[in-house]
Amino acid sequence: MKKFRDIEQLSAYLDGQLSPSDSVRLELRISTDPELDSVLSDLRLARGILRKLPARKAPRNFTLTRRMVGLKPPLPRTFSFFRFSTAFAAFLLMLSFAVNSVLPRMSFGGGAPMVAQEAYGISGCDEPCSPSAMAAATEAPLVSSMELAAAPTETSEDTARVAEPPTAKEAGNLSAAQDQPQVQSEAIIPSSWQIGLLIIGLLSAVLMFALRQSALRKWK
Amino acid sequence: MDETALIHSAQNGDLDAFNTLILHYQDSVFHTALRVIGDEDLAQDAAQEAFISAFRNISAFRGGSFKAWLMRMVTNACYDEFRRQKRRPTTPLEPDAKQADGEEMESPRWLADPNMTPAERSEADELEHAIQHCLDTLPTDFRTVVVLADIQGMDYSEVAAASKVPLGTIKSRLARARLRLRECLRGFEELLPSSFRLQEEGNS
Repeated sequence: MKKFRDIEQLSAYLDGQLSPSDSVRLELRISTDPELDSVLSDLRLARGILRKLPARKAPRNFTLTRRMVGLKPPLPRTFSFFRFSTAFAAFLLMLSFAVNSVLPRMSFGGGAPMVAQEAYGISGCDEPCSPSAMAAATEAPLVSSMELAAAPTETSEDTARVAEPPTAKEAGNLSAAQDQPQVQSEAIIPSSWQIGLLIIGLLSAVLMFALRQSALRKWK
Repeated sequence: MDETALIHSAQNGDLDAFNTLILHYQDSVFHTALRVIGDEDLAQDAAQEAFISAFRNISAFRGGSFKAWLMRMVTNACYDEFRRQKRRPTTPLEPDAKQADGEEMESPRWLADPNMTPAERSEADELEHAIQHCLDTLPTDFRTVVVLADIQGMDYSEVAAASKVPLGTIKSRLARARLRLRECLRGFEELLPSSFRLQEEGNS
């Protein structure tokens, strides 16, 4: 068996990859060495068989679609503007709902008892009221007029005053105290603004969709 | 076909230009994948992956032989396929062409080719199977080199570019691969065309 270096040279010679001087030298050796000639024939045979192998045609086309390579249609610049305005309007709309539902509760929790107490004159202290007494009055549970009316047997002077039917002025203050939270919940962000935001958001979304469809049609 | 112009257009994102290139090269890409992998369905997958990868990376093509560059894509796709098979080996549902008891099954593929008689088709199929069998016995690196050089007819520098290995390694791998193939094909002497057999008899 020949050295692998010889075999490598024979293979390169077969493909015409040797320099002219190396080729001449190798040809001289082949003519005098039958084993080299035999190996060269073997290599030629292997190469010939491989080259005789029928070329197989592609069973289908491998052409690419835009989807396959992840290409997207070029969208107009206005598309990004409408996308932003849709998102921004939707955000503002949600924010307005949140503000309208959360803020009135926060103001009602702090302010309503005070108003009710003022209406009934149950501040719990003589004028001027000390800060600790004010705090105690604020922390006291809201006493509705029904509850107050249901406790006529209280012995203290203040409780007796509460049990008495309110005067006309006090009745006016009470009704104002009952109405106040409702007025606040409707007034923070008007519903007309919310409707406006909704319309802006919907319009932007529709225009965005139309632009995208138009770009897709042109692209196809 | 102005290949350079098409490549330039494809580099600018023109998919139609790239598809024209695909139509020109798809047969040789598929054939290379088929000979390296040895399975038609997997070869189709590899060819498709190679073209997708080629389009995505075409901006990296800096001139030279486009075919060699494309062949690098397809050999990479074949190597990916081999790695995938190693991770998740599968058992084919169809029986192998050569059964375990050595009895060969008749291939129905001759039905699809109207240009050959059934006997000719059968002989060609058998020879093709024999050659593919011998190719499959080679290490993947050797197989790739021999497929590119001897089946695709690429020169050494193109094979080196496609395989990303030095020219000397290509020479060495090709010589070894040819010798091994010759040894393997001795077992299928009766299938070889008469010209090859006579040559062999003359040499012995």
